[in-house]
Amino acid sequence: MLKYECFEKSSLLEVTLIGDLDIDGTKIINEKLIPQLMKSKKINVNFEQVPFVDSSGVGLLINLVKTIRENDGNITISNISQDIHDVFEILQITEILGKETFIES
Amino acid sequence: MQQFISKGKNIEEAINLGLKIMDAKKKEINIEIMQMESKGFIGIGKKPAVVKLSLNQHHNHLQEGYSSESQNYSIEKVIEHTEINENLDVRERSEASLKQVELEGKVWVENGQLFVRDSSRRYPTVTISEGITLFKDNVRVKEKSTILAEKDQIDLLVEEVANKKTDWTVNLEDQGLSAILKVNPGYDIKRQIKDIEPAEHIELTFDETKEVVNTLSEEDVVQQLKLLRINYGIDYNEIVEATKTIEPNTFIIAKGLKPHPGVNGWVEFLVEINPKNGLVEDENGKVDFRESKSIPTVEKGEIIAKIHPPKPGIPGVAVTNEPLPAQQTFPIKTTTGKGIIEVDDQLVATESGRPSIEQRGQLVKATIVPKLVHRDNVNLSSGNIRFHGDVEILGEVDDNMLVDADGDIFVHKSTSYANLTTSKSILVKGNVISSELAAGKSNMLMVELGHLLGIMHHQIEKMMVFIKQLIQSPAFKSNDFSVSGLQPLITILLEKRFKGFTTHAKKYIEVVNHGEKYLSDEWCQIAIELKQIFLTLSNHITSVDRLKHLSIKMQELSDFAQLPVEPNAYITISESNNSSLYCSGDINIIGKGCINTKVHAGGHLNVKGVVRGGEVYGRLGVTINEVGSNSGTKTIVSVPDDQMIHINKALEGTILKIGNAKYSINKEKTHVIAKLNDSEDIFLSNI
Repeated sequence: MLKYECFEKSSLLEVTLIGDLDIDGTKIINEKLIPQLMKSKKINVNFEQVPFVDSSGVGLLINLVKTIRENDGNITISNISQDIHDVFEILQITEILGKETFIES
Repeated sequence: MQQFISKGKNIEEAINLGLKIMDAKKKEINIEIMQMESKGFIGIGKKPAVVKLSLNQHHNHLQEGYSSESQNYSIEKVIEHTEINENLDVRERSEASLKQVELEGKVWVENGQLFVRDSSRRYPTVTISEGITLFKDNVRVKEKSTILAEKDQIDLLVEEVANKKTDWTVNLEDQGLSAILKVNPGYDIKRQIKDIEPAEHIELTFDETKEVVNTLSEEDVVQQLKLLRINYGIDYNEIVEATKTIEPNTFIIAKGLKPHPGVNGWVEFLVEINPKNGLVEDENGKVDFRESKSIPTVEKGEIIAKIHPPKPGIPGVAVTNEPLPAQQTFPIKTTTGKGIIEVDDQLVATESGRPSIEQRGQLVKATIVPKLVHRDNVNLSSGNIRFHGDVEILGEVDDNMLVDADGDIFVHKSTSYANLTTSKSILVKGNVISSELAAGKSNMLMVELGHLLGIMHHQIEKMMVFIKQLIQSPAFKSNDFSVSGLQPLITILLEKRFKGFTTHAKKYIEVVNHGEKYLSDEWCQIAIELKQIFLTLSNHITSVDRLKHLSIKMQELSDFAQLPVEPNAYITISESNNSSLYCSGDINIIGKGCINTKVHAGGHLNVKGVVRGGEVYGRLGVTINEVGSNSGTKTIVSVPDDQMIHINKALEGTILKIGNAKYSINKEKTHVIAKLNDSEDIFLSNI
């Protein structure tokens, strides 16, 4: 089951996802995380503790990023494992969200 | 006295003189000729004969020191000759001597041996050609030319060239139907120093003889055949021929048995099924409108066709004694439509009407098309005509009326401001005024849809590859497929990777919706699937299997659309004005011609009369009697780049388009053929 931790330093809100980003995380992301993030203008999602994703999870992520951007928020993603990166490559997530979304740390 | 050099008019005289002085007998001395007498020419160059006499106990070689000083050598032969000829008459003897004199200072080659004769005046010289080595006293002469003397021990060596071996290979060809032996016989090259006549200077050269040696033996070939496991249909005569050949050649040394092709299943029609092409011209170019009712009909219970099963072929045998299967034969696949049932491999009509047969490859679609005969004009009182079958209208089609049929449309009078649509053919006897005619609609649609399906099928195949790849990715969990199917994944894939797919799918659905009534169910089924899976993202759970299934169906239909239809739809009218004609097959305008009409023919366009204004197109070429207008109305005739335009008379201002090239006729031309030349320009030539 997906969990997340928020940590604010200066103007940046660091969200660390813990657990698999999959279909079971639908509720927590759509109903809890997104409303919470709407208040922040600068967000980074840390993938360090996400070992697996599934297609629903990726869909959730795309939806999340798009929703924040519609709200004029600035969002980046960091610490993606190589395996997940491979999945993102196949799905061309980098092209969908833009290369600048993915940062080193 | 040990030695004495004596001179005389000739050798005989010199010897005798010497003997007298030495007081010796001929037996006791050795005679060495130092100089032959020479008569000279009128006294000039006259030389006495000079001989050296020495007592017998001294051998010739002892005098070598002396000899080399004087550059004169003893020639035993000559001495012998002198001795033998002692008793011969003087004249003969002097002739022999003369020969000796001629050879002096010369060099020659005889039987591959080099001979040298010294002379007091000069050394003979030789030039050594490449490939020859000359050893003087066992030392190789490196220079290209050298001088020679009798005392030298001379050996000649000719450089040998490598002989070529006989090359040969055995290959299986024609799927093992024949074994081919390729032989390239080898050869030996023999070089021999050429014989050269005596001369002061000679050039050593050699003769080269090439002797073809075919070393291939029957055994070699048989061995190789065994190795290749060839044991059927071996032709030993050819093998023997191959071992004898002196020229590179190929031999078929084993022949298999060709498979005998079978026959695909076929349909034998027992009734006339092809409507004659409506209005047909006779030899005089006249059209008899009374002879246009040649549409065939069948009665209830009539047998229309017999279906013959395929005959399998007879398999052949490869030279390796393996069976070669004959090409597979396919049965006829029938789809029976309304009014037809299949009984014991026979197609039987259950209704009366016109038999309609559509054949694409081994697929045969048979239906009985009912016929509607409308005895009046089509106008507001009759209403629009929509009919599932042939429609024959004995009157006119009036303003803004519509005739829509599944079968042929036959209008006896004219049409004005009307709309005629069918998936089959259209025939109008009267004038076509401001009307829209479309024939072979279903064909057109199928071609268009088939094209779209081809693209989409390709993309779906790719999509499935990506899905497979994803499932194998270590960080990918596929357990949500069981809950929500592929839907979330497809959404993501359509977002970027297959961005164009949605457009194609939408286009397909749109075309199907438009032409639903001309298309069979399977086309519509795909439209529904596409909508469910890719567009509406409904709650239907999409599995990989479903995608696979869709992909297979798409491919089937796309292949089907590529098969040519027979018989094709056509439009035949007498004349038209301000209209638009659209047909998947041929369009024939057999009356006065067409004025300001847009014509699109998927087949050949044939206009017996004039084309004035408008734009005409023939996918398989255009033939027009007269084109263009004096008033300058724009008239465009176009064909694809691989086709030709035939025109009997082209007026100024006519524009010809072939592929992308354009040509404007600036002066009236008669009897021309227009086509593209190699540089993609339009090129006109006279018929």
